[in-house]
Amino acid sequence: MLQEINETSFMVNDLTLYLDTHPLEEAALLQFQKAMEKRKELLKAYAEEFEPLTMDCVCPDTNNHSACCTRYAGQKHFTWSDGPLPWEGGSI
Amino acid sequence: MWNYEKRLQFPVKITRPCPRTASLIISQFGGPDGEMAASMRYLSQRYTMPCKEVGGLLTDIGTEELGHLEIICAIIYQLTKNLTAEQVKTSGFAAYYVDHTTALWPTAAAGVPFNACEFQSKGDAITDLFEDLAAEQKARTTYDNLIRVIEDPEVREPLKFLRQRELVHFQRFGEALEKIKSDLNAKNYYYFNPEFDKQFIRK
Repeated sequence: MLQEINETSFMVNDLTLYLDTHPLEEAALLQFQKAMEKRKELLKAYAEEFEPLTMDCVCPDTNNHSACCTRYAGQKHFTWSDGPLPWEGGSI
Repeated sequence: MWNYEKRLQFPVKITRPCPRTASLIISQFGGPDGEMAASMRYLSQRYTMPCKEVGGLLTDIGTEELGHLEIICAIIYQLTKNLTAEQVKTSGFAAYYVDHTTALWPTAAAGVPFNACEFQSKGDAITDLFEDLAAEQKARTTYDNLIRVIEDPEVREPLKFLRQRELVHFQRFGEALEKIKSDLNAKNYYYFNPEFDKQFIRK
């Protein structure tokens, strides 16, 4: 799923630059809208299944798989530091 | 990966430009204890930090420092907006103006350009966290110095906010140091480097 998030997010990044200089182009606007919707869905699904990738996805009640910093698996906690650090090559 | 939020962490609205004040505050942009050095320090150190939670903390504080960099730049920008040539000449801003007009360029108040030698990334968790604690205190002292000589409340308010954040970061780094130490030999924290001699870390 992370691969899909990467691809969709890169599409958003690239379209952002294009739309910065072509803000009226309808085809690009439509693509941006689609990619952005998909990105939001994917980020939400990833946070529910694994861990949050952005601060806006942090939710102590829906994702608590990590046992780090908790006394028992599933304990309500701040999930922001769950999961591998991106530079450790973890979530590929 | 980073995303930009199109807002300042603390609002900046300065109605009375003052290039002299700007030339002092610029030290918190590119000076020895400025926000650029702070952000680069934490974002450079985080990769080899042996504890995941501390790596995460360095990421979050390093990110917040980028937001502080933006606040400082907004202050300098507004303090030097719509200057006349006469104001440039009489306000102690002329030397900077010659090279950069009113653009933002990272430098210390005394004219020394930003340099990576302002910070360290040493590859030893204890060494680096002490550096971070010292850095927050040095930045706090610099804000104290600025707040002491600047009278305009529109400039003082964001500086006071930034000063407070240095204190919070100092506290959090202190906690991070405690966390690292809890994985080490309490009889001799300096027996080995937790980032390199990983075999000694208690798990």
